[in-house]
Amino acid sequence: MNPYIRYVGERLILLLATIFISMTVVFFVPRMVPGEPMNAIFANMAAVGGSMNAQEMIVEYRVRFGLDRPVWVQYVSFWRELAQGNLGISISNFPSEVSGMLLSALPWTIGLLTVTTVVSWVAGSVIGAVIGWRGRKAGWARLMVPVALVLYTTPYYILALILVFVFAFHWPIFPLSGAYSVGMRPGLNTAFIVDVLRHAVLPALSILLVSLGWWFLSMRSLIISLKGEDYILNAEAMGIKERRILWGYAFRNALLPQTTGLAISLGHIVGGALITEVIFAYPGIGYRIYNAIKSLDYPLIQGGVLLIIISVALANFLIDAAYPLIDPRIRFEGSGGS
Amino acid sequence: MAVAPVQDTIVESHKGVLWELQRNRKFTIGGAIFLAMLLTALIAGMMIDPDLRKSGSFPQRLPPGEGTLFGTTSLGQSVAIQLTEAIPNSVQVGLIAAAVGTILGALIGFVSGYFGGKVDAVLRILIDVFLSVPSLLFLILIAALVRGVGVMAMALIIGAFAWPSPARQVRAQVLSLKERGFVQVARLSGMNGMEIILIELMPHMFQWLGANFVNAFIAAVLAESGLSILGLGPSREMTLGMMIYWALNYSAIFQNLWWWWLAPVITLMALFLSLYLVHIGFDEVSNPRLRTEG
Repeated sequence: MNPYIRYVGERLILLLATIFISMTVVFFVPRMVPGEPMNAIFANMAAVGGSMNAQEMIVEYRVRFGLDRPVWVQYVSFWRELAQGNLGISISNFPSEVSGMLLSALPWTIGLLTVTTVVSWVAGSVIGAVIGWRGRKAGWARLMVPVALVLYTTPYYILALILVFVFAFHWPIFPLSGAYSVGMRPGLNTAFIVDVLRHAVLPALSILLVSLGWWFLSMRSLIISLKGEDYILNAEAMGIKERRILWGYAFRNALLPQTTGLAISLGHIVGGALITEVIFAYPGIGYRIYNAIKSLDYPLIQGGVLLIIISVALANFLIDAAYPLIDPRIRFEGSGGS
Repeated sequence: MAVAPVQDTIVESHKGVLWELQRNRKFTIGGAIFLAMLLTALIAGMMIDPDLRKSGSFPQRLPPGEGTLFGTTSLGQSVAIQLTEAIPNSVQVGLIAAAVGTILGALIGFVSGYFGGKVDAVLRILIDVFLSVPSLLFLILIAALVRGVGVMAMALIIGAFAWPSPARQVRAQVLSLKERGFVQVARLSGMNGMEIILIELMPHMFQWLGANFVNAFIAAVLAESGLSILGLGPSREMTLGMMIYWALNYSAIFQNLWWWWLAPVITLMALFLSLYLVHIGFDEVSNPRLRTEG
């Protein structure tokens, strides 16, 4: 069989397993937590839903969660609803569909995360390679190492707090919160786009700087450990230009673990970014989940969690599927291993 | 095989791990900062009159220096006194969660790597799945249901999702160790699986587990502060995450009460940095190839 297809097939199985296992965990968690939390949620709904629809909502939820039916029937119907994209009905915004509320928030999260992750990964890798290769000759640029260390060990949302204080409160260069100014009508015009970008600078910067620190450090140490490898020494002995050895030999090989690293840490990046949204009141999924927590809106929390898990699993699959582009061994021999 | 290329160094350096650790500068500096912070908080916490912990014990919104060391909150609490409670609590969450996660992970990794076959196939998929899913999301789901948990319960919940990374590493190590001569000899001499794991393999894993433990520690403190900022923290106790949560809740940033939010922020950064230095120290001792310039 074509090795690439086999490789992608394996990844596809992992993708399906991830979705299956995490959805199963998501299903069983509220049913396994002691103290019948669902009852508390129903009681809360009556209070939060207030005057008009409380009774109607409780009936709706009894039916949706089907708590009177056997667990496996509930489990099957959970999957059926999920397959239809039905994530239930919000409590705080009754009777809005959870899926609709999340879909309007999703582009903000994906936009913020994709741009920051790609930029920090590329920039961090390139700078890390250059400084790692130069070693002691890099001069003042070696100061990047302790700076990156401090940045990397700082959580996004901690850096976010500092950035808000310095660049939005103390020197009000950037807006404090939100994704665009209040009263601005969303549309494809320059004023709106500039406004959106201005609002995105600080949230993006807090994610960017922290992840840049990590990609820089890991690429640098990869390049340093590759420098002593036989094939690099051999290339040097053959008189190949240094620039070519760095980018064509060392960097090329270091990209493999660096890409695996991206796939592995994607979950962490997303988790941290969700909390960063809270600091900036940035209207993505993380902020939605935060508001749902405040208003005891469990269906919305659950829907947000499901959506993020599926998105991360898909993104991971895409990174894995693109991996053979940089690792010819998988393309030609199929020796990708276990 | 996804086996890390470090196996050769484990066996030879195992006699002097502690000696090597205390010689490692990153390990000692990181460890010293960490211990200094923890001990200061613990000792100061014991000397403080418990009545001063109550809200309203101090004038509200005092800047640092005027009567209290790090200023006071909008509720008339001393930020410094809050820190003496928050640091040990956050460290406690980290320690318990890391212990639970590392032990669970080591167990799963040992079983998966040692027994192989179908057990390994199933466990490997589980490890890969839980490694790729952001565990913070599962934590949010659980914490949203069991609101108002204490520090201890919080630590256990976080620990229950901290096993995948140690499991993966331990599995890789066991795979590479179990084909070694001394394990084969042990098997031929009639030791059973569990005995080999405990007597022959465990001693080689200590430094790996050490590095993993510190890693899990960092992740757990991170998870605690994240959950707390989301409003899912131990609301009746003080942790570093809860300090930030309350500061944000009373919009400390916009009221220019910078000392309120900056104190836990700087403490968390110092905590993470010191723990990370300890982690690098562990890594360098177990993998001498990492000991490069600078």
